[in-house]
Amino acid sequence: MLQRWWQNLLNRTRSATSAQAALETPSGTVIPVSRAGQWLLLTLGLALAWVVGWGLVVLNQEAIRLSKPTLADGGAATLLFRDAWAVASSASHYPLDQVGQSVGLPDEWSRSHPSYEGSIWYRVHFDTPIQPSTDKLLAAYIERACSNVEVHLNGQLLYRGGRMTEPVARNCDQSHVVPLPSFLLRTGSNQLDLKVTGYPIERVTARQRAGGLDEVRVGPLQDMQRMHQDHEFWSNTVSQVIAGILVVLGLFALGLAWVRQLSYLTYFGLLTIGWSLMTGRWWINELPVSNASTEVLIAMMFAPMTAFAIKFLLGYSGHGMRNRKARDLTRQVNAILWAQCLLLPLSLWLVGVNGLFLVARLWYVLFALELFVAIGYFLWHSGRTRKPEFWLMSVALGVVSAVMGIELSFQNGLLRVWGVHVTYFVMPVLYAVVAVRLIQVYAGALKTAEGARNQLEKRVQEISAEIERNFNQIAELRVEQIAEKERKRIAADLHDDLGAKLLTIVHTSDNDRISTLAREALEEMRLSVRGLTGRPMILSDALADWRAEVVSRLGQSGIEIEWRNSIDEVEEPLSARTYVQTTRIIREAVSNIIKHSQASHVVIHTDVHLEHHDFLLVIQDNGKGIPMELDGRLDRGHGMTSMKHRAKQLNGQCLVESGPGFGTVIRLTLPLEIAVVQQKVAIEHTQAASTASIPDGAQGSPLGTTP
Amino acid sequence: MKQILLLEDLPEIRAWLKTLALQVFPGAHISESARVHDALELVNAVRFDVALCDLGLPDGSGVEVVQALREKQPDVQSVVVTIHDDDEHLFPALQAGAFGYLLKEQSREQLAEQLHRISQGEPPLSPSIARRVIKYFTAQASQQPISQADSVTPHVQLTDRENEVLLRVAKGFTLPEIGVQLNLSRHTIADYVKQIYRKLNVSSRAEAALEAQRLGLFRR
Repeated sequence: MLQRWWQNLLNRTRSATSAQAALETPSGTVIPVSRAGQWLLLTLGLALAWVVGWGLVVLNQEAIRLSKPTLADGGAATLLFRDAWAVASSASHYPLDQVGQSVGLPDEWSRSHPSYEGSIWYRVHFDTPIQPSTDKLLAAYIERACSNVEVHLNGQLLYRGGRMTEPVARNCDQSHVVPLPSFLLRTGSNQLDLKVTGYPIERVTARQRAGGLDEVRVGPLQDMQRMHQDHEFWSNTVSQVIAGILVVLGLFALGLAWVRQLSYLTYFGLLTIGWSLMTGRWWINELPVSNASTEVLIAMMFAPMTAFAIKFLLGYSGHGMRNRKARDLTRQVNAILWAQCLLLPLSLWLVGVNGLFLVARLWYVLFALELFVAIGYFLWHSGRTRKPEFWLMSVALGVVSAVMGIELSFQNGLLRVWGVHVTYFVMPVLYAVVAVRLIQVYAGALKTAEGARNQLEKRVQEISAEIERNFNQIAELRVEQIAEKERKRIAADLHDDLGAKLLTIVHTSDNDRISTLAREALEEMRLSVRGLTGRPMILSDALADWRAEVVSRLGQSGIEIEWRNSIDEVEEPLSARTYVQTTRIIREAVSNIIKHSQASHVVIHTDVHLEHHDFLLVIQDNGKGIPMELDGRLDRGHGMTSMKHRAKQLNGQCLVESGPGFGTVIRLTLPLEIAVVQQKVAIEHTQAASTASIPDGAQGSPLGTTP
Repeated sequence: MKQILLLEDLPEIRAWLKTLALQVFPGAHISESARVHDALELVNAVRFDVALCDLGLPDGSGVEVVQALREKQPDVQSVVVTIHDDDEHLFPALQAGAFGYLLKEQSREQLAEQLHRISQGEPPLSPSIARRVIKYFTAQASQQPISQADSVTPHVQLTDRENEVLLRVAKGFTLPEIGVQLNLSRHTIADYVKQIYRKLNVSSRAEAALEAQRLGLFRR
């Protein structure tokens, strides 16, 4: 039955938090654990906690045993008083007229004088067994007198720890060493009177501050001082040092929380600072407020401390960050926690001064239970996802249980020990461990962030490099586009103005020669425009164009033509300029054949030398040849000069061989401008890709793709 | 009597083209126009047999007129008369439905013969145009799988023979040469060329319709 209820509760918790648990892990390592595994893990964690807790309890007992000064500590010359004659009186001197009783030391008022508030006189007698040697002075050592003590020797006031009237100085945690002046010492019996002023346990919120007197020692001053210093060191100095460290730790956590905007870090910081304030409560011995107010103030601090601790645990476990249900739950928890902070002082005020201890005790138990629940929740939560946190918190659970168990049993009077408690030191150590873990997590996150940042930086660099590259390309393209646009404009202007006028001459002139010239001019102009605006083409296409033109022109003139391509497909690119110039050369040659050669048969042979990066075009006719000039050179009128000139412009060569009766052979060798043209082709490609929506086709071979 | 549309902005050339048209089609009635706008009005009003259209006109391109003719009077033989010999200018006109092209600067005899041939159903086909047509149909074929689901677009494909003719033209062979090589008559070759032009036009129109539809879808 109980088991089922527990399971249900777990299921609800799990359903509320399982989804985001994996996501909200500061450590980043998400290892989902199966249900059975989780139970096993939880058991293991609890076992670890138990071992740690048990170890701590043992350690505590050992520490108390060791710290308790024994007779031997004081040396052989020390007197240890285990009994005293006690008289309850607030008189300024030992009341001889009142009846006292013998009490054992240490004396707890809660047992010997229940509900008594005021002062109690203790009297011990000692003979001066140890005649103070010449180099040694006697002193009394009181390890604990709560709240304050006055020391009289043989009726003379020797020492006062602080205010003896309300509000009494709070010296519960301090030991006192009182030198006994030798002139006051009498040979034989001496009376040492101690007036202890304190409060009954009902009016304080912690047993440590209830009225009482510990054992009293009388011995050599040096020994007494050594014991006093030891006690002072262990119970005060160490605590203060730790409190100081905790403040620094807490401030660090707060700073970290401020930087990272993480609430659980804030709570951790507040928790450690609060703890250091509480453990540092000895720092001020004389407060100008009444004892009850001070006690309420101290007790009040436990409520926010518990709240901080629980909020830290919940926040660190990642509870309530995504899920709405979990958020609602968190809100309820918050309300309860902060309500406690108000309810605690309220309840203390309601029950009045005499109920302080009882009510405070109840509250402590409640806080302890709350903390256990919170730690259990954290264990359950982190056991699923975060291994390091789980083990850490298991240890923490053990420590906290042990500390609380010791504290609570002490407060409830189950444990009767005075002296140094391990609990004072363990909690700060625990805080430190948790803080180290938090810092580790933070460092891990920082490292991850740095890695991510580095990666991002690298990526940004890559991208900016790419952008730069693209920008350069675009700029180049843009220049190319502008040039292209300009060329097109010029071409359009040429066509529209010059073309139209030439055309008019072609078709309106009566003179044949003029109209022919105008036609030729028009063709020239068109070629020029083409050289300006045309795109590179592949050699095969150019050869096809030339062939078609030459064949149809010669065919119209009734001349037989034989065109031989030694290579069928030539993919080499040809710039528009080369195409145009070559077209001019071929046209000139064909015109010569038609006009002058009287040839009946023409053979045109093309060849491509890829290894030489050039192509060869041979035009051979069987005409009468070109007549020689007087200087032995061929007739310039036949346009040979311009043909040669054009070939030279293209870094090529145009050789003409001719003789009467042998016909004419024109050998045209032109380089293939692969590199130059390919670059241009590439630009055209990108242009086409970025601007053309209609498939325009590439500059590659359209022939290769057809059957 | 033939009805002829003559679209040309330069008066001298227009007059000269008129005489050319009259030479090829004696007794024809010629409607002259200097602007695209006027020509489009004429297209709506008169039934033509032949149209001679310049491309670059002050208020637009002759392609618009060719297109309007193709849509409204599909039987008209639209001939582009232009100064541009490159496929970049000619191809859109052919896509729009032009049946041939004449280069203005040629001698009257040449032009008369070419026009005559075109009217007889023997349109010219230059290597660069042929290459452009091949590219066009190759691209269409490669795009086909995407638009196959769309039953609206008829898939226009060239026959093997038509492809063969195109390929040979692209390689620089003249139409008579191809006729000899394939052992086909001049008329058969001319028919192939005619078919190629027709299919180019049909395919282009389908493509344009598809494009319009696509844009319409986007606008909605």
